[in-house]
Amino acid sequence: MKRTVFTLVILLTVLTSLVSACSPKPAGTTEPTQASVPEQGQPTQSSEITSDNQAVEIRWFIGLGTGDDPAQVESEKKIVEQFNAEHPNIKLVMEVVNYNGARDALATEIASGNPPDIVGPVGVSGAEAFHGQWLDLTSLVEKTKYDLDQFDKGAVDFYRVGGEGLIGLPFAIFPSMLYYQRDMFDEAGLNYPPHKYGEKYKWADGTEVEWNYDTLRELAMKLTVDKNGKDATNPSFDPQNISQYGYEPQYQDPRAVGGYFKAGSLVADDGKTAQIPDAWADSWHWLYDGVWNDHYIPNDAVRQSSEYNSGNPFNSGKVAMALTHLWYTCCLVDAGQNWDMAVVPSYIGTTTANFNADTFRILKDTKHPDEAFEVVTYLIGPASLELLDIYEGMPARKTDQEAFFKTLDEQFPQEVDWQVAVDGIAYADNPNFEAYMPNYNEAFDRINTFFTLITSTEGLDLDKEIDTLKSDLQVIFDKAD
Amino acid sequence: MRKTLPIFGVFRLPPLARREALWGLAFLSPWILGFILLTLLPMLATFGFTFTNITLTQEQPLRFVGIENYQTLFKDPQFWKSLGVNLKYGLLALPVGLALPLILALLLNSRYIKAPALFRTLFYLPYVIPFVAGFFAWSSMLNPENGWINEGLRALGMQNPPYWLNDIRWVYPALVIIGLWGIGSSMVINLASLQGVPTELYDAARVDGAGWWGSLLNVTLPMISPVIFYGLILGVIEVFQYFLVPLVMNTGTGAPGGATMFYNLYLYKTFFTFQNMSYGATLAWVLFAIILVFTLILFKTSKFWVFYAGENQ
Repeated sequence: MKRTVFTLVILLTVLTSLVSACSPKPAGTTEPTQASVPEQGQPTQSSEITSDNQAVEIRWFIGLGTGDDPAQVESEKKIVEQFNAEHPNIKLVMEVVNYNGARDALATEIASGNPPDIVGPVGVSGAEAFHGQWLDLTSLVEKTKYDLDQFDKGAVDFYRVGGEGLIGLPFAIFPSMLYYQRDMFDEAGLNYPPHKYGEKYKWADGTEVEWNYDTLRELAMKLTVDKNGKDATNPSFDPQNISQYGYEPQYQDPRAVGGYFKAGSLVADDGKTAQIPDAWADSWHWLYDGVWNDHYIPNDAVRQSSEYNSGNPFNSGKVAMALTHLWYTCCLVDAGQNWDMAVVPSYIGTTTANFNADTFRILKDTKHPDEAFEVVTYLIGPASLELLDIYEGMPARKTDQEAFFKTLDEQFPQEVDWQVAVDGIAYADNPNFEAYMPNYNEAFDRINTFFTLITSTEGLDLDKEIDTLKSDLQVIFDKAD
Repeated sequence: MRKTLPIFGVFRLPPLARREALWGLAFLSPWILGFILLTLLPMLATFGFTFTNITLTQEQPLRFVGIENYQTLFKDPQFWKSLGVNLKYGLLALPVGLALPLILALLLNSRYIKAPALFRTLFYLPYVIPFVAGFFAWSSMLNPENGWINEGLRALGMQNPPYWLNDIRWVYPALVIIGLWGIGSSMVINLASLQGVPTELYDAARVDGAGWWGSLLNVTLPMISPVIFYGLILGVIEVFQYFLVPLVMNTGTGAPGGATMFYNLYLYKTFFTFQNMSYGATLAWVLFAIILVFTLILFKTSKFWVFYAGENQ
């Protein structure tokens, strides 16, 4: 008898351990990598309602774009607490994942049938990595009579995607511009680059030339200095001992580099054929020559070195100019307090200031679309100014833009010409450089490999590498069929 | 006599032996069940995945695709590139990974060395450091601008020392140098086998007029050849499964220029980043087949150079 009882106890223990190990976690259970709202900070009312199971839990996934920085997380927590206090019918829960692991984490959550309800802020690239996963908001907008007129029509249409409907609402926009260091121009005796689209560049001798990529190259070479103080136009310039670079495509991938020359896409109109726009190939030649022949752009090893701020060279204060987006103000800590912004140069007479836009999206598999929509409209509505402040995002809502730039002025008191950012919106790229490609993540990975190859390897046959990129992309696109 | 699986043979045992065997199985059951549920069945499931179109997000309906994934694989340039990356690395890492621990073991086995226990400990010590921590220490030392190695090379007069991990020409030597961090274990195994060689064989070789080299080539190496063979098999498997360092380095981007997109990293990214489970499973099973083929070739060739004491060779 004792033996039978003992056997049963062992078998039960084993079975219990197995069942508990294999059973799925209840929705909303947070992993160690996720930051949930601390219980201490929860309003009493919200806690009571949750314990009564009357509140619907909405999970907000953060990290696919910006938002995972600890300082940002603190502000996001406060917004969540405020939302929960004001909305007893909903319990908003944050899931913060590090940016580098966010795509994998979200993919795994979707695959395991445990997706979050809301994702954001997320840009086009992050969203396209989950193409087809976003909820069409058209019916919710109609049902709640949500006012879309508060935004520019263009900003709303940016989120109208053929076949998918309205998959986002405007929140933050990030035009691009040329950041530059005034001191370096002053030291070299050079005039600043133009602040108005259409203006020419004026050399020190008074001659005026078109503000294009040839002019930018020449300017960048004059601003690239070796350890002996000679610039890159000097025949005795020492490219092995450069102490200051002229230009950096800061945090830009090859599509962005191409997009500054001309709006385009790596996939043809049929949605499945790989192509390399001529202007993009030109832009990559321009970049490659800048790194290896004219030496005004840091190569990958220099860019990644601690001396050049481990991948953020303009912030090191040793690079004179950088083409990037408005969100880059997030990352300007060590670049000094005398930088300003100028307009994007033109390419064969046309200017393209490529564009980033972030928003909050709802996953189509959400079980609570109405509540998720309520949260999204709160985040892009009453909470938007606070969120835009921590994300360094320019408000899509025109009436909020003045207040946003005032906040930036407090942060950067050197009188930055923010009008450059506003004017840049008119030159946004269409199609957007981050737009859909089949098998998006793998194609994105291949493009980045191309970038590190050309910025880390001297003596390449670049045309051959471009052809290889095109054929590789075709194989990757074909895998999506 | 017909053979049966031991687990079924239990029921033919006498009552006492059967009871003992059942108790043994009861205590083993957590492992057996865990193995079946968490290893064997998932493994078999992944083989099934290779004939379907499963993705993490499953935008298209699930369907049977036959050998389509295998056909795609052989047309996939990244598959060949990643295999090439492993082979390039292996050609450098395997000889170094086999020879260096053996040389160190020979040195530590020398009767002329002072304080052998101290050296043994010192050489083994890095092995206990977690590999990721070791990688970060090494990446600092290999930093092109201010790493100790390049500082040393500059002090020796080298104007432009290598960019190491940021240069596609130097990244493999750099990874091999980082890999030396873990040779302590192989060194200890080699040392143990060296100490197991019967001393009378050396006495006989000396009587026959063999010097140090003669003894090494004719006595030591044949006698420890099974351990070298063991090291070679493990080395080949490790080369094909090389993953952790390229994943940690540059967050698994394969930089510089795809030179570190090792096969296993590509497999991992296909699963989780590219969300293509069927194709990832195909890559995994093909990797299994490749390793199996290499291992079988090594076993087949071992009869020509591996000496097992007691065998008629």
